[in-house]
Parts: sequence; structure tokens; C-alpha cells
Amino acid sequence: MKQTLAILLDGYRELNHRKLFWLVLVLSGLVVVAFAAVGNDEEGLTFFHWSIPFPFVSTAMIPKADFYKIVFSQFGLGLWLSFAATIVALISTASIIPDFVDRGSIDLMLSKPIGRVRLFFTKFASGLLFAGLQVTVFTVAAFFVIGLRAGDWEPWLFVSIPLFLLFYSYLFSVQAVVGLLTRSVIASIIVVFLFWGALFLVQSGDNLTLMWRVTQEIVTERKEERIETFQVRTLEAEDLRSDLSLRASAGDEEAEEALAEAERDADIRVARLLRMKEEQEEDLRVLGIATEVNFWFHLANTMLPKTGETVSLLERILRDRAGLVIPVGDEDNTQRQFGAMVGPRDFDERMRKELGESHSVTWTIGTSLIFELVVLAFGAWWFSRRDY
Amino acid sequence: MAESTETVADLAIDLSDVRKVYRGGVEALRGIKMDARRGEVFGLLGPNGAGKSTLVKIMLTVVRATKASGTILGSPIGTKSVLGKVGYLPEKHRFPEYLTGRQAIEFAGAMCRVPRATCRARTDELLELVGMVDWADRKVSMYSKGMMQRVGIAAAMVNDPELVVLDEPTDGVDPLGRRDIRDVLVRIREQGVCVFLNSHLLSELEMVCDRVAILVQGRVAAQGTIDELTRESRRYEITLGGEPPPWCSEGDLRVDTDLEGRSVLVAPKVEVDGLQTLIDRLRKDEIDIASIRPVRESLEDLFMRYVKDPRTGRHLPPGAERKTPPTAGSPRP
Repeated sequence: MKQTLAILLDGYRELNHRKLFWLVLVLSGLVVVAFAAVGNDEEGLTFFHWSIPFPFVSTAMIPKADFYKIVFSQFGLGLWLSFAATIVALISTASIIPDFVDRGSIDLMLSKPIGRVRLFFTKFASGLLFAGLQVTVFTVAAFFVIGLRAGDWEPWLFVSIPLFLLFYSYLFSVQAVVGLLTRSVIASIIVVFLFWGALFLVQSGDNLTLMWRVTQEIVTERKEERIETFQVRTLEAEDLRSDLSLRASAGDEEAEEALAEAERDADIRVARLLRMKEEQEEDLRVLGIATEVNFWFHLANTMLPKTGETVSLLERILRDRAGLVIPVGDEDNTQRQFGAMVGPRDFDERMRKELGESHSVTWTIGTSLIFELVVLAFGAWWFSRRDY
Repeated sequence: MAESTETVADLAIDLSDVRKVYRGGVEALRGIKMDARRGEVFGLLGPNGAGKSTLVKIMLTVVRATKASGTILGSPIGTKSVLGKVGYLPEKHRFPEYLTGRQAIEFAGAMCRVPRATCRARTDELLELVGMVDWADRKVSMYSKGMMQRVGIAAAMVNDPELVVLDEPTDGVDPLGRRDIRDVLVRIREQGVCVFLNSHLLSELEMVCDRVAILVQGRVAAQGTIDELTRESRRYEITLGGEPPPWCSEGDLRVDTDLEGRSVLVAPKVEVDGLQTLIDRLRKDEIDIASIRPVRESLEDLFMRYVKDPRTGRHLPPGAERKTPPTAGSPRP
């Protein structure tokens, strides 16, 4: 324990020494000030004492506390901490492991009565201090802003601390292991940013292909229903034609007059039904492709850490646990999606259901942690076998 | 292995067979057998690439041995817990630049699980000992090389070790500082601590070491007290006032000529009583004796002797050898 505390204290001193740490902290302070400056009232958005008429965010649409929670979740955590501050943090902490394994430093550490695996993991944890301190300061400040401005002292906000730490640890594990293998700060920065970019592509691919698949399912199901309805009407038209034909051959003049129209109508319906069935086959083929592409993206996403989805969990947790209500659009509207018209409510419901099944909290955090553990275990194995 | 007169408890380092083959087949250590006792300063000599640093790093678990039979402070090599009783100053060590000298020493103490209060008190004592009190609270980035070495030695001793391993401790230190460090080493030895020194400065080693080992191409070429190792080369040189008598070439005796052209009777392997006999014989033959000088090989001479290839007379090439797989019919080493 004494050794662990000593390494963590050393990690803090190292951060304290870095100007970027303080720069990010000051910028975080400015973001909190900006966060405190905005708000909403009956008219719309407020900034200090100015009111901007923007009814979509008025208190009639979003309660004051929910407004702050959404701003905190989407902008504070989603944009500032997990994007801008993370870029600076990854640059700032990139040298921790290469410096640690540098000749002259590593001898001093390895010659102490501490196992290499424990040493590696403790050093890794000390590297997370940067992210830990930043998110803690930011969340505490945001907690007070929401409490004072909206009168809602929401303890669930503090979930953002472990969530952000998890998010950062996925990236830092890769950075740490690359730094360990290459002993190069530049290499670890380049690789971690490429990796982050690849994660973004895979996660976006997984989400987009899921949306494509869901859209295609809705379209296919709707067409199925329409074909069934149309098939009934076509049969009715054919029955009418047969009936009129029988009556006409029996000398019914009225039937004879109506027969030509009924035959034309039946022919049109049959032809249209055939076209619809052909389209259905095409839609099923596209659905098959969408399902397969989504499967591979989802598989890749399952094997990799889910940075964006981990941060997005905050909003989901606030919604489920703290009663956060996110305003939605008009139920009856339809929107064009992947070339098809779908109702957003219908689509959203299905997406939520799909996400609940295939992108659960356990899946998001569990599989990401498995990836991180595998990476760190490899790093620890390498570190414990290497001669310095 | 340890001599029969010594108990295992007397030995701080007791290596019987330490081998290291690096990737690519480079054989850095080829069966090291060495022992260092508590309460002595032990010097490890050797040319560059002889395997000195590898040996030290194996003892400190920085490098993993291919084979390691032996003990450090009574525990098998590689036992992590025993390192709490070992102090180590690596060659070209580098403290993080954001630490002060005091923080660097205290960090080393914490890593050796020294209780906080003890660590603080000991840090103050050690800063005093190495003459760094005035600089203790300044960042190490402001230190000179010599100051870094002083703080490094203090950090190596903060855990009150039973074995101190110092790799080039006087590297970059001025003559005054070197003398201070030598004094520190002697004081540590007096406390019953084994000081294991790895240094290129043979004259310095000669001044403080009780015993030395010479490592050449991954093997211990010689080991013992400087007295033991130079015994064979000990001789008396008697400068004569006149022509040497014929018996001066008998047995081991021989006659050389000095720079002034005088005859010098060289008497190797002669003790004090034998010297008296020689003097008596010279006096009896009425030969004047201008001077009598006991001569002993210096550590440098000894070192040079061992790093020379006896077959070619040239210095053995530095560096470890590549391990080659034995071919059919070739004798095994």
C-alpha cells in the first residue's frame, strides 16, 4: 500500500509539473463558467441576463434542471471532456510510460521490492490521475451549478466520473502499451489517435448499419402488409371479373358493359402485385445485406472498446434513474431515411429496442473492459519478461 | 561457492552459477561464481562488455537470468522481498526532474516500504552525510552530475540496507567529492554492510576495496583480496652499488639494469627473512646496496594482465561472445 501511494503521489507530482494539466483545468473552469452563464426560461434560452427567444428550449419544452443535465451530458461531458480535454490529456500523458521505462529510471524502480505486474498496473493507474482529477473537478463544479441555478441537487451526475475514467482508460491502455513497446512518445500519440479514429468509424458503422437494418425491416414489413392488403383487393377484382364474365355470357348487358372496366382493373392490379412482389424480393435482398453488414460491424464493435457509447451512458442513466426527459419530435411526422419514409416514433422505438438488446450497458462496459484487460495483460506480460 | 570457513550468513552475495544468454545468442555471462561478504567493500572490475552491468542487473532483478544459482542476503536470486534490504545506485541513473533531492530519497524509501517517519529522519541524516542539505529542496533538474550521484547514494541507503550496490558511484564527481564518497563507503562498511562497487576507476577501487573480482568476457578471471591476487608478482628490488656476484642469477633471482645503468637484483617470491639472507650474502661479498624496494603489482597492472590474451599477447576483445550451437564431434565447453 505504501508503495502504491508513493507511485500515485509521484504521478500527481508529475502531472503537477506539466503545464498542460493546469491549462486543461483552467479551460475546464471556463467551460463551467459558460455552463453557469446559460439557462432557459419561459421565452427560451438565457445567457447571463439576456433572453434569446428560442422556444424549443424554453421551460415549457424542457424543465430547467433537465436543460442543465442535457447540456452537461451532451456538451460538458460529451464534447468538452470526452473530446477536447481528452486530446490534450492524451498528449500530456503520452510520455508517462516511455519515461518510466527509460534507461536510468527503470533500473531504480525494478530494483525495489515490488513485483513488475503490480508496478505496471500502479503506474498505469497513476496515468489515469490526469483524467480522474479533471473529470472530478468538472463534475463537482457542474453539480453545484445545477444545484444553485436549477435547484436540483442531482447525485447521479457523479456517475460521469467513473464513466469518463472508463472511457479514458480504454484509450490510455492502448497508449500505455504502445509506449511500453516502442518507448516512443510520438509513436504512442500517433497510434492512440489512429486507434480512437478507428473506434469512431467502427462505432459509427455499427450504429449506421443498425439504423439501415431497422429502416429496412420497417420498410419490408410495411410492404408485406401492403402486399397482403393488395392481394386481397386483387382477388376481389378477379372475382368481380369472373362474375361479370359469367353474367355477360348469360346475356346480362349491364355486366357486359362493366366487364371491360373490370378486366382492365384486374389486369392492372395483377401487374402491380407482381411488381410489388419483385420489389419485396429486392427489399429482402437489401435487408439481408444490411443485416450482414451490421453483423460484422457489431462484431468488430463488440471486440473493441466503446468510447462514445460509454460516455453516452450518462444520458441513459440520467434518463432511467434521474427522470431526465429528452424532448422528442411530432409523433405523426415521417422522415426520409435511407431512401424510405419511416415514422420517427416507430423508428425510434425499434432502435431503442434493438439498442437495448444488442447495446446494453453490460455489453458496452463489459466488452470494453475485456478489451482493456487483454491489452493491459499483454502489456504486463511484456513488461514482466523484458530485460532493461 | 563460499569457503568452508565462512557461514552462509556471512555472505551478502553468494553466486555459484549465473548465466545470461541474450536474444540472438549473445552470451553475456558464462557461469559466474562469486561471493562478497558482509562488512567488506567488494570491487567488480572488467573491460567494457565483460558483463558487469548484466551481473549487477541480474542481482537486482532488472535483467532476468538464463540460469541463476546463488543467493543475495540468503535468499535466492530474483527474490523481490530481499530487495528491501538492498540499496542500488544504477549507472547513469535519472531521477524525474520534477522531484527535489529530498523527494527522490523519500520516494526510494517509500518504495522499500520504510515507515514514513523513519524515512524522513533517515533522509535528513543522509543528506547531511552526502553534503546535500543546502540543495535538498531544489529540483534535481538543477543539480550537477556530482550532486545527482550524491543524492543517488543517499537514495540507495535510505532503507538502511545490508547490501549496497553502486554502479560507477564517482562518475562525474570532482576529486573532493570522490574522497567524500570513499569516506562514506568506509563508514557504511564499518556498519557491517557489504558494499558492491562496479567501477572503471581502478585506483579508487584499490583504495577502498577489500576484495575484487575481475570479469572478462562473461567469466570471473580472478577473485580475492588485492594482496592475494598480487602475491605472485610481489618482489624486492635491490639496487647494487657494483657488479652483481654470479649467484644473483640462481633460482628465481635475476638481474636487471635501471635507468641510471645500475644493476638491480630482482628477488621474486621472497619474504622478509629471505630478504635478510640476501642482504647478508651481498654484504659478505662486499657489494654496496644503494636501495631496497618492495614492489607489488598495482590493480591496474593486475587488470591489464587478466584482460590480455595469453596466446596472442593482445587485449581480449571487449564484449560478450555469441553462443554457437556445438557441432558434431566438437568438445563441449
